[in-house]
Amino acid sequence: MADKRVLVVGGGLGGLSATMKLAELGIKVDLMSLTPVKRSHSVCAQGGINSVNDATRQLGDNEYKHFDDTVYGGDFLNHQPPVYEMAMWAPKVIDLMDRLGVTFNRTQEGFLDRRRFGGTLYKRTAFAGATTGQQLLYALDEQVRRWEVEGLVKKHEMWDFLGPILNDNGQCVGAVAQDLFSMEIKSFKADAVVVASGGCGLIYGRSTMSMTCNGSAASRCMQAGAKYGNAEFIQVHPTAIPGADKLRLMSESARGEGGRVWVPRKPHDSRAPKEIPDSERYYFLEERYPEYGNLVPRDIATREIFDVCVNGGLSVEENRQCVYLDLTHIEASELNRKLGGILDIYRKFQGVDPCYTPMRIFPAVHYSMGGLWTNYDKKESGGLIAGSPKNQATSIPNLYAIGEVDYHYHGANRLGANSLLSCIFSGLFVAPGLETLLSNQGPGSVAAEQPQSLYDEAVKKQQERHESLLKQSGEENPYLIHQEMGALMTNAATVVRHNNQLEEAIGKLADLKARAWKCSLSDTGTWSNQNVLFTKAMQDMFPIAEAILKGALARDECRGAHYKPEFQLPGLTAEDPAEHRRQAEEWCDKFEQNIQKFLKTSVSTYDGKDVTISYEDVDTSIEPPRPRFYGLVGAEQISEVWQERKKKKKEAAQAAVTN
Amino acid sequence: MIAHANKPKTFFVKILRQDAPGKPSYWEKFELDYEPELNVISVLQKIAAKATTAGGQKTTPVCWDCGCLEEVCGACTMVINNKVRQSCSALVDKLLEDGREIELKPMSKFPVVRDLYVDRSRMFNALKKVKAWIPVDGYYDLGPGPKQSRGDQEMAYPLSECMTCGCCVEACPQYSKIELTPNVGETPEEFEDRKVDTFNRNFVGAAAISQVALFNLNPTGKMNAGERLDALTEEGGIQVCGNAQNCVAVCPKKIPLTMSIGRIGRAVTFNTLRKWFDRPAKKH
Amino acid sequence: MRRQARRWKGSVVSSAPSFLERHEFLLRRLHSLAGLVPVGAYMMVHLAVNASVFGSPRIFQRLVFHIHSLGPVLPLVEWTFIFLPIIFHGAFGLFITTGVKPNIEAYPYNSNLRYTLQRATGVIAFLFIFWHVFHMHGWFHNHFWVTYVAHPLMGAEFSPYNAGSSAALAMQASFLVPVLYTIGILAVVFHFSNGLFTLGITWGIWISPTAQERAKLLANVVFVIFAVAGMASIVGLYSMSQEKIAEVRAEEDEAYKVLVETGDIVPNPEKHSPLSEYAPGKHSDAEESDVEEGE
Ligand SMILES: Cc1cc2nc3c(=O)[nH]c(=O)nc-3n(C[C@H](O)[C@H](O)[C@H](O)COP(=O)(O)OP(=O)(O)OC[C@H]3O[C@@H](n4cnc5c(N)ncnc54)[C@H](O)[C@@H]3O)c2cc1C
Ligand code: HEM
Ligand code: HEM
Ligand code: SF4
Ligand code: SF4
Ligand code: FES
Repeated sequence: MADKRVLVVGGGLGGLSATMKLAELGIKVDLMSLTPVKRSHSVCAQGGINSVNDATRQLGDNEYKHFDDTVYGGDFLNHQPPVYEMAMWAPKVIDLMDRLGVTFNRTQEGFLDRRRFGGTLYKRTAFAGATTGQQLLYALDEQVRRWEVEGLVKKHEMWDFLGPILNDNGQCVGAVAQDLFSMEIKSFKADAVVVASGGCGLIYGRSTMSMTCNGSAASRCMQAGAKYGNAEFIQVHPTAIPGADKLRLMSESARGEGGRVWVPRKPHDSRAPKEIPDSERYYFLEERYPEYGNLVPRDIATREIFDVCVNGGLSVEENRQCVYLDLTHIEASELNRKLGGILDIYRKFQGVDPCYTPMRIFPAVHYSMGGLWTNYDKKESGGLIAGSPKNQATSIPNLYAIGEVDYHYHGANRLGANSLLSCIFSGLFVAPGLETLLSNQGPGSVAAEQPQSLYDEAVKKQQERHESLLKQSGEENPYLIHQEMGALMTNAATVVRHNNQLEEAIGKLADLKARAWKCSLSDTGTWSNQNVLFTKAMQDMFPIAEAILKGALARDECRGAHYKPEFQLPGLTAEDPAEHRRQAEEWCDKFEQNIQKFLKTSVSTYDGKDVTISYEDVDTSIEPPRPRFYGLVGAEQISEVWQERKKKKKEAAQAAVTN
Repeated sequence: MIAHANKPKTFFVKILRQDAPGKPSYWEKFELDYEPELNVISVLQKIAAKATTAGGQKTTPVCWDCGCLEEVCGACTMVINNKVRQSCSALVDKLLEDGREIELKPMSKFPVVRDLYVDRSRMFNALKKVKAWIPVDGYYDLGPGPKQSRGDQEMAYPLSECMTCGCCVEACPQYSKIELTPNVGETPEEFEDRKVDTFNRNFVGAAAISQVALFNLNPTGKMNAGERLDALTEEGGIQVCGNAQNCVAVCPKKIPLTMSIGRIGRAVTFNTLRKWFDRPAKKH
Repeated sequence: MRRQARRWKGSVVSSAPSFLERHEFLLRRLHSLAGLVPVGAYMMVHLAVNASVFGSPRIFQRLVFHIHSLGPVLPLVEWTFIFLPIIFHGAFGLFITTGVKPNIEAYPYNSNLRYTLQRATGVIAFLFIFWHVFHMHGWFHNHFWVTYVAHPLMGAEFSPYNAGSSAALAMQASFLVPVLYTIGILAVVFHFSNGLFTLGITWGIWISPTAQERAKLLANVVFVIFAVAGMASIVGLYSMSQEKIAEVRAEEDEAYKVLVETGDIVPNPEKHSPLSEYAPGKHSDAEESDVEEGE
């Protein structure tokens, strides 16, 4: 297999773990990234990484429960076999990262310390200070550097992946990419290409993601024919610090310690917040949810903040949406003791001390559950067949996707601290499959046998696109189009979604798209031209943006991060027990109908002009779907009905077997 | 709260630009409308969108490097009002406290690619030179790593936050710029070799020394401590440090670099003496 | 400059590293060590001995006699343990200093100031010591050199067997002399005390920031002690009146006589002040013996 090579696009946790494992298997890797891999977006992750561990096991936890929390949290839209496999691997992944020198926090006896994260009852989350992602990424980066010295890995940093190269049989045999400095466009021959390009937050203008998370690589695969799954599922974090450049995460613990959320009753009141008397403040969470107050669950907080600003027009500022998160009623010394670390972020980036001035916060796009559609090879006993080349394969043969850009681990909603796990796991897991692929590759599909003209043609096509962009003249400014797209997407397809708004947004997006091809560049140079690179990435955002909007429009239900108030199953209203019971039955009927109709992966494809949505069944063979109730009135009754039905089904199934 | 009332309506940003390596550098001035809560990154974004100088002339967008915008990726280092720092955490409100103009320059210790974008490959090369990794047997499941005391973790953690931003070496008077260009008739590989050779023979800088301190603290990393220390006594090693301690003063992650330098200074002494007297490495 | 040539564009890299490159670590460590011993140690003793002149020229003379009791091997000792180490430390120090750009305006931190001063005072020390040894000691005690080169250039003014009196005259030769000495002493003493601080980091003696802060404090104390000692000898020598000098000289000659008789020191007219009664040409006993000092 000496001459076979794999091209890995992206050097975040996913790309690096794949690279390192491939190198261990003796496979040569070309590793491509927009930035030095050490600067990949994975550095931003703060919280931690989940796995079952010896301590939680003794409290009744096990891999199955981790699996179950993940699919329950994902509202059963996750394909279960890969999630099951991931949960089984999780403890091993953390052991490995520990061996690689990650500076995980320790207990006093020297074991890994764990904390509890949302969506589970167990302390599963290992963490390294407040920079777990950074520490994990560095450990992998170091291993890859080691392989680079050994000569198995060749890095191509500061290269932009422009798309896969397919041969006449539709197999991926390499990629075209462009050097960010010299602007040289070059083809890379590869017997398999692994895309690990992370999320696509930049489609929303500003998000909690890094500047490289523009989704361009995924879009370019989609444009080459790859399927894209569950595009409409975008996770929004309730409290982020809106900056002119980025929305930085503000931990929920600020509310946990007594932070109060409010807006002035008078829209865009220009007074300093402290001068606004209590009577003129609208503590909307406390008023709307007297029971929970400011501590309503994450998604509800997000929706209400959004609602107050977007629909209520009560944003603190006129030109920017935000609400106050107020801690000033608490003693500064106490705040600094309990929340010092996170308040420092606010001080550092806003130059304002939240102990004395209320913070301005707003929900922000945080994670994309959707991504390139990928396959898997399922084992009868649950889980996946290790070493199968089907695992993580996209719909284009020999093209693979892992990490955030792959769609199948997090369903409709990702649990905290599960993403780092899925990135490393999918990277480690894809490697043996690729080894099998490469050793079984028949004649005709090997990159070395492809005609050179195939590669030259691909380069030529990209060269043409590049040159026509430089020459293009028009009124439009790519940066402003991006801003408009961001605003459009943020308003229509984040927290609360309405069909009329989505329809309108699809129309507007089409207009914007037309304008995006009429940009004239302010830089037409041939050296390190960020202007043209940005414009390309911006143009390539449209297919994914369109997939998000169309997927959201077509999905008339509420599932995980996708929330459409019109289609929410209402709580039970009846007082009378019999009526109450009847309503619960009805609720469960509707729920089952909804599963029939919408418990499906949305699959977007792009034909060069438009995105088309189709649906595929979700593999729920391990744990059947059940309702999630967050603060739903009548949850107990519904749950009771549901359990009865479940029992009946089980009995029926058993009867069928014994007969 | 920073008072916005007494802020100017507009402010100026003076940028030292350079079109490509080897090209002359020149200043360009931009005028921007004042807004509260800007940072230098958002200023550059605005300049990119506008691409017009203060004099009203069309120009090219300024080229720069950034990533996380949270001061964890290390990409956005530049010299702002004569001091090296991360531009994402450089707040305009603070910078305008000393005047109406902000001055941006690329780092002076690295070759300029274009404008404010520099090539820091020498820093990544240093990580190779000092073998900054844990030499594990492999990535199969071999159980958990060695237990580590809380104290050791607390010592290691700050060191592991180094984001290779280069502030430390930019401010270090002992670290000099290396800018090479290919010779006529030199193949890209030969050029690359010459570059690596030159990098390896000049100061590694505080960040790499501190990484040695990190890996030599790790129970597994310790097993190869000698190799890393050897790398630091080669040409360009720790001995070049002149204890100016600027590194520690400018490090945005507040990494205790001079502590690492002291600790490694001691370790290399013992390591060298041990080798001199042909004694086996210390047992752990 | 060699480094500059290799670093800058175009030129070919010599693939065989030079001696300096191969042994950079060893040389730097030797340089650092030399700063402490013997050079630093010598300076401490030297300044302490010199300071004694402030209190009592007699003690000073006794200490100098003590040193000079080594007689003919003294030059060997001086060259091996003082001159050569200083020359090595100084020359290598200058080599380290060249090609480095200070950046104190941009980074005005305490340690950076110290770093910059360490180099600046190194250069001052180099000039000062070069001149000072010439001024007092003369560098060589060859008769021709002393008579025709050193003396006319105001060098070799010190006469060990008339230590206090000749040093005082040397110090009073011009108002510039004490001024230059003050600058030189402060520079060297700062250089040494801060050198102690950095040496502790270089060799890993003080590691934690707290330890380094304390070491800095210690270095400052060392600075004060030796700066005071240095100033004391300058003041002591500069303020000595002509009558006092004559008196001291007489005492020195007296002591000399006794010590020669007991055989503790070797007679050597070159080591007397020209004003001494034992000066060359004045006293017949010692006339023939300038051979020993020939270098
Ligand atoms: C603020 C924040 C906090 C988070 N905290 C947590 C947490 O606590 N726990 C958790 O589990 N998850 C967390 N996440 C999510 C998690 O960090 C990401 O999902 C994960 O890091 C993604 O890793 P990745 O390997 O898929 O991609 P990334 O790390 O995003 O890397 C993408 C790579 O692809 C490259 N690339 C992209 N496009 C191209 C192109 N066109 N050409 C070439 N290369 C390209 C990039 O250069 C980069 O190297 C957090 C996310 C954010 C934003
Ligand atoms: C108050 C300040 C000083 C005074 C009065 C002084 C005086 C003298 C005298 C009188 C001599 C001649 C000794 C001899 O020839 O036997 C001498 C020599 C010398 N001094 Fe100083 N000195 C002073 C400071 C320094 C300092 C700071 C240094 C730096 C380390 C220094 C280095 C030397 C050296 C190297 C010699 C020659 C070696 C020797 O003769 O033993 N002196 N000094
Ligand atoms: C003759 C001229 C001198 C020059 C040019 C010179 C130069 C230098 C320089 C550049 C350094 C810094 C070395 C480094 O950072 O690696 C240094 C360090 C030092 N010097 Fe000197 N020096 C001179 C004389 C002296 C004298 C006379 C003394 C003692 C009294 C002395 C004692 C020291 C000490 C103790 C150090 C610290 C070494 C370390 O940090 O490891 N130097 N010198
Ligand atoms: S040590 Fe600090 S300044 Fe230096 S590269 Fe690392 S983070 Fe940046
Ligand atoms: S202490 Fe050393 S590495 Fe740090 S700035 Fe000073 S000379 Fe450079
Ligand atoms: S952009 Fe990452 S450190 Fe500033």
